[in-house]
Amino acid sequence: MKYLLVGLVFTIGGFFGYGQKHFSISGSVYDADTKDLLPNVIVKLSQNISRTNAGGYFVINNLAPGSYTVQFEKLNYEIQIASFGLADRDINVNIYLDKAATKIDEVKISQLSKDRLARESSAVTYEVTKDYLDQNRENTLMQSLQNLPGIQAMGIGVGQSKPMIRGLGFNRIVVSQNGIKHEAQQWGSDHGLEIDQHDAGSIQIVKGPASLLYGSDALGGVINLRSLSVPYSNGMVGSVQLLAESNNNLLGTTFGLQARKDRWFYRARFTLNDYGDFKVPADKIIYENYVFDLSDKHLRNAAGTEKDMSFSFGYADSSFKTETFLSNYNAKNGFFANAHGLEVRTSSIDYDHSDRDVDYPYHTVNHFKMISNSTLIFDHHELRLNVGFQNNVREEHTEPVAHGYMPKPVGTLDRRYVKNTLTADLQDEMKFSSKHSIVFGVNAEYQNNGIDGWGFLIPSYDRFTAGVYAYDKLEIDDNVFLHSGLRYDLGTISTDSYYDWYPSLLGSDMKYLKRASDNRSKFDHISAVAGLSYIRNKTNYKINIGKSFRIPLASEFSSNGVNYHMFRYEKGNQDLRAETSYQLDAEASYENGKVGLSLTPFINYFDNYIYLNPTANYFETLQVYEYTQNKVFRAGGEISAEYRPFTKLGMEATAEYVYSRQMNGLKKGFTLPFSPPFRALFSVNYLFNNIWFLQDLRLKTDLRLSAKQNNIVPPERTTDSYGVLDVALTAVIRAFKEQHPTIRLKINNLFNQKYFDHLSFYRLIEVPQPGRNASISLTIPF
Amino acid sequence: MKLEILKRMVLFSIFIIAASCAKEDEQIDTEKPVINVSYDNAFPKSCAVLKRGNTYIFRALATDNTGIASYGVDIHHNFDQHTHDDQPGVCPLDPKKTAVKPMIYMQNFAVPDAGTSYEIYREISIPQDIDPGDYHCQISVIDKTGWQSRTSVDIKIIE
Repeated sequence: MKYLLVGLVFTIGGFFGYGQKHFSISGSVYDADTKDLLPNVIVKLSQNISRTNAGGYFVINNLAPGSYTVQFEKLNYEIQIASFGLADRDINVNIYLDKAATKIDEVKISQLSKDRLARESSAVTYEVTKDYLDQNRENTLMQSLQNLPGIQAMGIGVGQSKPMIRGLGFNRIVVSQNGIKHEAQQWGSDHGLEIDQHDAGSIQIVKGPASLLYGSDALGGVINLRSLSVPYSNGMVGSVQLLAESNNNLLGTTFGLQARKDRWFYRARFTLNDYGDFKVPADKIIYENYVFDLSDKHLRNAAGTEKDMSFSFGYADSSFKTETFLSNYNAKNGFFANAHGLEVRTSSIDYDHSDRDVDYPYHTVNHFKMISNSTLIFDHHELRLNVGFQNNVREEHTEPVAHGYMPKPVGTLDRRYVKNTLTADLQDEMKFSSKHSIVFGVNAEYQNNGIDGWGFLIPSYDRFTAGVYAYDKLEIDDNVFLHSGLRYDLGTISTDSYYDWYPSLLGSDMKYLKRASDNRSKFDHISAVAGLSYIRNKTNYKINIGKSFRIPLASEFSSNGVNYHMFRYEKGNQDLRAETSYQLDAEASYENGKVGLSLTPFINYFDNYIYLNPTANYFETLQVYEYTQNKVFRAGGEISAEYRPFTKLGMEATAEYVYSRQMNGLKKGFTLPFSPPFRALFSVNYLFNNIWFLQDLRLKTDLRLSAKQNNIVPPERTTDSYGVLDVALTAVIRAFKEQHPTIRLKINNLFNQKYFDHLSFYRLIEVPQPGRNASISLTIPF
Repeated sequence: MKLEILKRMVLFSIFIIAASCAKEDEQIDTEKPVINVSYDNAFPKSCAVLKRGNTYIFRALATDNTGIASYGVDIHHNFDQHTHDDQPGVCPLDPKKTAVKPMIYMQNFAVPDAGTSYEIYREISIPQDIDPGDYHCQISVIDKTGWQSRTSVDIKIIE
């Protein structure tokens, strides 16, 4: 018998119970797959044995404060053991039992308490489980998440992508991993997220203002990657996954293990992906008047590799938990050889002799992280300390070419960035009663960026930010939660001057142009949030209003030079103020096990959105783009409906829309760059009967529809509508006695449609999205 | 009841959001200017041969729905054959070579009163002492909104 152990610490404060009242643990037990309520589940608390009723409900009464371990058992289901800390109130939980045939390869994250917390929160949040990630795995983390309503991936080929939430991307959203803000967005659009997606246990997505807890940048939302939960039992478990894909001949593997010995535990993971040029359903790329013939439909030089490893170790007891993570992400990616950015290139390099090699232009990225998370529980306090160090290095290599007054440079190092970031975050959550808690926190971050190479885009800079905040949660009535918070931030950013290494003609003299100036700017900002959440049985209403901010980037202040890849002259603006955004969110949702409905609209207003405006002027012969601040109005939302008419069939439909408009300035009436088009997703999930040794055989089809995007700003192009069908088949192979591998077959873009993604880096040069891709993965647990 | 009030607040805000989205857009300019370098009097045309020491009149026609705002002319060498022009046909290129004193001509001109159709007409002298060989002549035009079009012509400068 295989035990599946789920740790559930609902109210950790309960380990130190106060008061002598008695409480109850109650809840509903569901089938984890079908979400059907399960009757007759044996519920064991030491000698106390009861069963769930016909409605799948159980209750254990008369419990003194303390910690309890409850076992849930039903024929043909995995046994589940859950721990509860009972402090000062009754606990009501949902328990999900996995079918016995389903072998979970890693300790499963409990989604129970998180689900409840998400419903109590007034912010519009979305919980992504490890199961969802495993079933929807794509090449990059953001591609794995892009079917979620309101989430978009800005792609660069197949191996890299950046996150976008409701049309805001780059530094207007925060990606946080293990409690520390991931710093990788400052370098422009042509590189990805720098995260091994297999390192994420579960993911919380906040679709709305979140500066209050995350500080600068969290205007549009947060993607919060949590680590896997602490292994529950002694011993070691692990899994290895093998992956192959047809479109770009990808071969990949990820190997992970975790072990626990009493209170100590460790985990390790290695991931390797190597892929060739991806194929598009086209024989040629037509960009402006240029025609690039493709060899065998391969987008030449789009190959790459990714090598990641991570290790963590920790200690956990009932009142103290600490874990230290060490991780390194390393990638090398080629860029389309005929045009990079907007720049058309010819070369004598024989790109077509192999579709696996990476030649110029390419980049390498290395992101090292060391993060420590600690939690200490005493009295009514939960003290959390997160400390992180990040070092990332990016090099961009291009064939040297003379440009304008720049003679042909020596070597291939176009740009090099070295960035070090130190972050510390200390929080004290005080639970005054079962109805009232306050979090106090302080947060500080120091960042230093150094540059090298013959190309110039971003100056060297130092940035320091610090914030102090308080967040209050109060249950003002039965199941009505009032949230409010206030935060104050201070920040400074100092940029170093930069002069061209070659002279240019200025007036009648040849001069070394100054392209960034010594500058020091200070900011301070007050963020605030207030919201209500009301849970009534199966219905949940939320309303939330928040003010968030972003400190301008060094490049937004002080660029003053040519970006040759985009063929434009970028001019910074030293008068920029911190970007401020006000957002009103609402949510109405309903879930009864068979039917799920959700509506999440928002309105958003920016006082001073920082926008790189294409002007009608030239510098030399390049168009001048100037950073300006405009008022921007945005609104939109998502709607989703789920229907599970019977246990084996699930259907889902979602739609999302964002409207953006610049309210003043030179582009009044225009939208913002990279505006996502209206999108809809229809998804059908069917569970077949077992066929011989194939069990849990599941077919999933996703039809992704996107409307035409006519709302553009220079230099964008309108993008046509499209519909793409993806199909996936997964099964558990029960050929062996103990361990049961999972196999997954997936075909993306089944009909090999030629379509363009408005959010792709390659959109501007008319490169379509990848053609049909068949992938097979095998996950073997041990 | 409080809960009813909250529910109404949520529904009301949904309504407000829906209403604000429904507002009609004002007309915005989404058209790029067009550059014509192939009409009879246009100069230089693809594969044109220019002589050092001579002066030429560069002509191209720019049109746009809202109005031309500025244009640029960029002449740079292609001795390393780093790119090719966007005109039909392929021009014969000399062998690759290293630049010693290449011609660099980068000028831009604001034409605020150009209107929706404007003929670029500019005298350019080819200096006597520059490297002969293959060059590109790139003409770019920006309209009043900030839409830019570029076109590029392969030319050869001879002694």
